This record gives sequence, structure tokens and C-alpha cells, in this order.
Amino acid sequence: MSAVSPRTRLTVVPSHRIAVGRGLSILAALGIVAITLAAMGRSPIELAGLVVRSTVGSRFGIEDLALFMTPLMLTGAAVWVGIRVNLWNIGAEGQLYAGATAATAVGLFTHWPAIVALPAMVVAGALAGAAWIFIPAAARAWLGVSEIVTSLLLNFVASLLVYYLATGPWADRVTGALASTERLHVALPELWGAVHLGFLLALGIVVGLGVGLAKSRFGYETAVCGSNPQAAHYAGIKVAPRILAVLLLSGALAGLAGVFEVAGTVHRLQGGLANNYGYLGIVVALLARGSCFALIPAALLMALILDTGIVLQTTQISSSAVLAITGLLVLAIAAGDEMAAYVRVNRN
Amino acid sequence: MADVTHASNAPPAHLAAGTPPILELVNIAKYFPGVIANENVSLNVFPGEIHALLGENGAGKSTLMNVVTGLYQPDAGEIIIDGYGTTFPAPDAAIAAGIGMVHQHFRLVPRFTVAENLHLGWSETPRRLSGKDIEERASALSKKFGLPITPSAVVSSLSAGEQQRVEILRVLSRGARLLILDEPTAVLSPVEVGELFSALRRFRSEGGAVVIISHKLDEIMALADRVSVLRQGRLVGTHQTCDVTPDSLVTEMIGRPVTLATSYPRQSPAPAGGEAEPLSLKQVTVRDAAGVVRLDDVSLALRPGEVLGIAGVTGNGQPELAEVLTGLKAAESGTVYLNGKAANRADPAMFAHAGVGHVPEDRLKRALMPGLSVAENMALREYDRPPIGGRFSFSMAQARKFAQMLADRAGVKLPGTQVQIRGLSGGNQQRLVLEREIRIASHVLVASYPSRGLDIGAISAMRDMLARARDAGVAVVLMSEDLDEIFALSDRIAVLYAGRLMGVMDRADADRESIGALMSGRNLSEAA
Ligand SMILES: Nc1ncnc2c1ncn2[C@@H]1O[C@H](COP(=O)(O)OP(=O)(O)OP(=O)(O)O)[C@@H](O)[C@H]1O
Ligand SMILES: [Mg+2]
Repeated sequence: MSAVSPRTRLTVVPSHRIAVGRGLSILAALGIVAITLAAMGRSPIELAGLVVRSTVGSRFGIEDLALFMTPLMLTGAAVWVGIRVNLWNIGAEGQLYAGATAATAVGLFTHWPAIVALPAMVVAGALAGAAWIFIPAAARAWLGVSEIVTSLLLNFVASLLVYYLATGPWADRVTGALASTERLHVALPELWGAVHLGFLLALGIVVGLGVGLAKSRFGYETAVCGSNPQAAHYAGIKVAPRILAVLLLSGALAGLAGVFEVAGTVHRLQGGLANNYGYLGIVVALLARGSCFALIPAALLMALILDTGIVLQTTQISSSAVLAITGLLVLAIAAGDEMAAYVRVNRN
Repeated sequence: MADVTHASNAPPAHLAAGTPPILELVNIAKYFPGVIANENVSLNVFPGEIHALLGENGAGKSTLMNVVTGLYQPDAGEIIIDGYGTTFPAPDAAIAAGIGMVHQHFRLVPRFTVAENLHLGWSETPRRLSGKDIEERASALSKKFGLPITPSAVVSSLSAGEQQRVEILRVLSRGARLLILDEPTAVLSPVEVGELFSALRRFRSEGGAVVIISHKLDEIMALADRVSVLRQGRLVGTHQTCDVTPDSLVTEMIGRPVTLATSYPRQSPAPAGGEAEPLSLKQVTVRDAAGVVRLDDVSLALRPGEVLGIAGVTGNGQPELAEVLTGLKAAESGTVYLNGKAANRADPAMFAHAGVGHVPEDRLKRALMPGLSVAENMALREYDRPPIGGRFSFSMAQARKFAQMLADRAGVKLPGTQVQIRGLSGGNQQRLVLEREIRIASHVLVASYPSRGLDIGAISAMRDMLARARDAGVAVVLMSEDLDEIFALSDRIAVLYAGRLMGVMDRADADRESIGALMSGRNLSEAA
């Protein structure tokens, strides 16, 4: 018989297979990176040591990881709530900007005490994120217009708007920093070094979201709408308002990511503030698959990748190489998931 | 392999004794988490034979055939084609070996024409191809296999029987020598069944082999040369059809004899009349999306504690009637009265809360979420009230308990309430929907073709359930293509033809002839 035995694809892949597949594929990707670095005349072992020391191996490294994780958990959650019901919010980047802008407005132009200003920033940012997706959401819910294209296009609008504000009307006249506003009057309290309250809040939001959707009527009704809209109609569940609600929730989560960025990490509104967190949220959500709680380790992995990239850049490795490494890892994980679905056909 | 052959494993009488089988299964096993779908199944099929595969819902018939066609991989055992052991890593390998299957749920592209569907995945597609070429080729194929089709028709506009012919033609045009049909007659009208069977007989006379899965024993007795019976995943016997009777087959399938009653007498006297009508239609007209009139000026009143049978050839307005009766569709003109109040908006929630249950014709598409768990599917009607939920809450633990209770009542064995409902056998999905709907149907139950896909034991249980609901004062609407079923259960019989209500008569005044005449569109005065 042939040397290669035939394989077949499982429809439901057990999670231990996924774990093994991902582990192997990450190793394979790291191997490719090591070989490439060696070919460039760099010592992969030395670099690996440096990366470990400056990420998980040091206090600053860990603080950085937590700061990266904060927005990633939230944009990941934003994309994840949509995918759960078959909706694709590709616009988390834009909603993040919207949330950041609203929070900045409160932080710059009010002189309220922190205890009032911070909650006001959170509410304003969440509302702004939701408002930024309102038109794509309503068009999807009632007219069936694909939310993918509309939410994506608004990202560019949001990004340019923030550049305009940060260089124009809201530009920093004090220090004259480029494309940036002044420092906000209030900040989220810091808990551990640079790690601020936003990290804990983001963790809490992800956990609350997971528990809330599993235990609420809203979670059940939206699951029905996502799985089979015809059956939802049959059961008397109105599909359009629930599509709207899920997308608004998604926008609000991404908006919160923007709030925590300006109020905790960056302290000002800057051009490029979103730092691709909105797009990386898609990766985080896909890595988490069906489970909301899995967003936390997925965000950690993504943060590690980002942090590694920055460390490598400090050693004169070009930023495009870093992007390539990121892409390679994500590709390897996707391939690993796919390969984990194939089992050898058993012949007796 | 052992060369002991006993009579049932020998080819059917009309074939020569030494004919080699086209397909041999040896000790096939297939397991799903917590379920033995098949175990130790050994079976052979000869060219020139029609072989029936019988068994209760969930006995493993579809799974076994999915193994044969490469959709599933066996966990043990051997598949032998023309004497050679084979494995099919994917369905295309089975097609290449001459095995084709027509699934219970059609797999055509609705928006494509018949000719386009026939040529999807055609291995010898030439570089240049015009619409006319493939239509010509489609006509040629249709002539060759004796299956009449219209190559340029769009599939979504075809009746179930026509779609099925396209499926069969597609399989045959790929050179299938073994044709597998999974419950092919469930959705066909009697005329279409006749056409299908003569096509199958012709295929057999040319040396083709057929495996047919069905719950309709009289059809099997008329068509098959041999029958094999599966029970709980294991083969309990293979027989020449001439050696068995429907009764002996039922006993073998279910373990006890079952006969369907021809009438369901009331346990308590019929309501005196004069009670409020829970639901009625006054001159209701409904059009479909294309603007075609589907229900034409229909007036109808349901009475509590009574079964109203709706007879009619499929496709004469039955789905639309069910939809207006359950609030899924608004009437274009005319009025729907729910408990005496006009309800002219499509508001299924209002109907459900008023105690209107609905077993729709296409249960998988309409009434279930295939990708969600059994627990979530069973909660669909009662998720908004205790114990499962409330205004804001939803308890998965309670939903699971509830689902287990429904499954126990419906006699469905579950590997767990957290498994996806699409993993259940077709018949078990139907049973669960029926159980779920009957619970909320406190005033009206609209049951469209409730016996489709059920085994005879489940049909008998379903009819008992309908009769009990009637005795409890529910107005039951029963749509069925089976006149025996309509006559057995109905108090009144209405006939639909081309969207018009041809007449409503008491069971006592109805006979098959007059109903048959109305079903073909003749008025009784003309028929007389
Ligand atoms: N993909 C699957 N995943 C899990 N279990 C499955 C799957 N497919 C089938 N089963 C289980 O295998 C058993 C046999 O199912 P199968 O569909 O073969 O029954 P069947 O004989 O075709 O019944 P029916 O007459 O109701 O169509 C059932 O208990 C079913 O729940
Ligand atoms: Mg089946």
C-alpha cells in the first residue's frame, strides 16, 4: 500500500489536539526565525536570551506585557462577541480611536476630581465606541449591508480625525509635541509600576462578559440569532435589534480599550495611538476560538509577540522583520489549528 | 474471509448464484463520543439488486452509508469493492469507485440552473464551455438515464421530486454503479414516488445496485429484493424480501410488533361546540416573495378539542397556511383572528404566548439551531420563563435538565445534552421538536407532516400524542400527505388545491374518492 496513509478532517476538533497543534506550530515558527537570524549572522540563542530577559524575565518586561494586554483583551473581546453570532466587526481600530477621543475630551476640558472624571471618561468612551459602529450596525441589522466593509472603512476616518485633532484644535501648545494633545488632567491609578487600573478592569470585563453571556437571556437569544435567524424568527425573537445590540456592545468594548489607553498608558491623545490593536483584536479573538475566557491567554500571547518585536528592534533588526515574524507566528498557529483537525485514517 | 454463505447473504433469487458482490462490508464499526453508531456490521450488495436498509430512528443507517461513501471513516472493519479492500479518505474517492449517494437533505445550489448543478465538480470540464453546451449535455444525460428534467430551470423553483431527480442524475452521470438513497420518498408525492421507483428498477435491470433507506415498509416490500435490518448500530438480519412481512420486519426493528391504529377514539366526549374559536381565518390571501398567490381567499375556523386534517398534494399552499396560522407570516388581505382578536401583524411571539405550537415542515431549517447544543435547542420555547430563565437570566443547568426530561419523554437516547443537535439522527431531531412544541401548544397545535422521517414506533407515539392533545381541548391542525393518517385522526378534513380551500367536511361524510377529487382540483359537483 502507499507509504502515506490517508487522512480525514474532523468536524469538531478536541481542544487537546488544538493545544498540541499550536504548541508544535509555534515551535516550528520560532525555528524558522532562528534559522533566518542565524543566516543573517546573528546568534539566535543570544537574542532569545535577550528577549526572555526583557519580557517575562524582568519586572519592566512584565509591566510592558500587562500594558499591551490591556487593550488587546478589550479589542479581542469586541471582535469575539461579534464572531460568536456570526458578525465581523473589523472596525475595532476606529472604535478605539472614538473612545479615546471622547475620553480625552473629558480629560482635557473638565477640571472634575478624578472620582467623577474617570467614570465620566469610561462612560463617554464606551458610548463613543458604540456610536462609531452605529451606522454599520443599523445597516447590517435592517438592510443586510455587510458590516465587514462599512466597519473597516470607518477606521480610516477615525484615524485621520484623531490626527486632525491632535495636530489642529487640540494640539499640545505647551511642549509642542508632534501630533499629540497635552497631558490629561486625570489618570487611572497605577497599581504596580506602570500597570494601571485599566488592566484589572479589562480582566474583569472579559470575565464578566463570559459569565454574563452564558447566564443571561440576552446571551441565549443572541446565540439563537447567530446560529439560525430563521429559527429565531420562529421563536418570536426579533433578530435585527439583537444584531444592533451585539454590534453596539462590540463597539463599546473597543471604545473602552481607547479610554484605558489615553487614561492609563499614554495619558494623551496621539496620532497612531491605536497601534493596530483593533486589527490585532481579530487575531486575539480567532486564537480564543469559542471561549471568552481564552481571550486572556490569547491576549497574553499577542502581547508577547508585540513585546518581542520591540526588543528585537532595539538590536537593529528592522521593524519589517518584526512584522514578518508576527505574521509567521499567526500563520503557523492557523496552520496548526487546521492540521490538528486531520487524523490518520485507521486501517485494520 | 470465511466463505460460509447462508441464504440471506446469497444474491437475490433473480441473479445467478455465483455473482460477486459489488460492495462487501466486513465488521464495520463507527463510534461517536458516547454512541455506538455501528458495530460488527457485515453486509453485501450485488449488482442488479435493490437492497433496503431498515431500522429505528438512530439505528445507524445514515452513518453506515456515510461510511460507505467516505464521509466518515470506519473505526474498525473493511470495505471491499469488487473484491478489493479499499479506504475512502473523502467522498470523491467513493465517487471514483462508482458509489454515489443522494442525501436526505438535498445538496444542490438553489440559485443555479439544473444544468449547472449537474456539471458542478465535473472532472472533465473542457476549457471553453457555454451555457448551451452544458444544457445540451444535461438533456443527453437525462435521455440516457430516463430521468426527465428541464436543464434551464433554476433549482429553487423545482418541486422536491424534481430536485431529487437532478441529484440522482448528477450521481449517475458520474458513472455510479451503486446508488445510495437516504429516505428518498419522505418528501415526494405518490406520483413522484412511482416515477422514482420505475427509474430505480430500470437502473437495476442495467446491472446497477441500489441501497435504499426508508421507514415506509409497504414501499420497501414492493421495491426491494433484499432487506437488512439494523438495531442499535448492529445488523440483526438480512433477508430476501419474499421471506418477510412488514410485521415481521417491524418486530425485528423495534423488538415488538407495532400496528398503526386506524382511528383514535376520544377518551372524553367531544366538546359540545359553541366554545370560542381559538384561531380563525377570514378570506386570507398570501403571496410569496415573487408575488405569486399562495393562499387564495381562505376562510377557516379551528375548534377546540378537534383535529382538522389538511389534505392536499404538497406545494398547494400548505407551508403558507401553517405560517399564517402561527403568526410567521402576515396575511396580505383578509384577517387572522387569534382568540377572537384580529392579529394582522406577523408576530410569532404573540402566537406562541397565546399557546400556539408549531411543528414546521422543514424542522432543521426552521425549528432548530443545528450548531447549538441539544439543551439550547430544547429551551427555544421556554427560555423566557422559570425554571430555565426569566426577564434577564438564563440557566444552562436548568436547560440541560429540561432537555433531558424532553428526551426521556420522547424516547430519545442522548449521549449528553451538550452535544450539537446536528449530531442526532434525523428522526430523533423530529421527535424532540414534536415533544417541545406539544408542551407549549395549550390551545392550538399546527403539525406539518409530523410523521416525516419517523420510524413506525415513533409515528404511533406521535399520533397518540396528537390524540391526547385533542382530548385535552387543543385545536390540532394536521397536514399530511398520508391520507390514512388524515382519516385516522381527523374530525374534519379540509382540502387545499392551488392555494384555495376546496372544501371542509366532517370525517363521517368524507371518503377517499371525494377527497382525492378535491385534491386534484375538481369540485365535488363536477366529480359527481
Ligand atoms: N456527527 C455525529 N456526531 C455524533 N453522533 C452522531 C453523529 N452522526 C450520528 N450520530 C449518532 O449515531 C447514531 C446513529 O445515527 P444515524 O443518523 O446513523 O441514525 P439513522 O439510522 O439514520 O436514524 P434516522 O432514521 O433517524 O435517520 C445516533 O445515535 C446519532 O446520535
Ligand atoms: Mg438517517
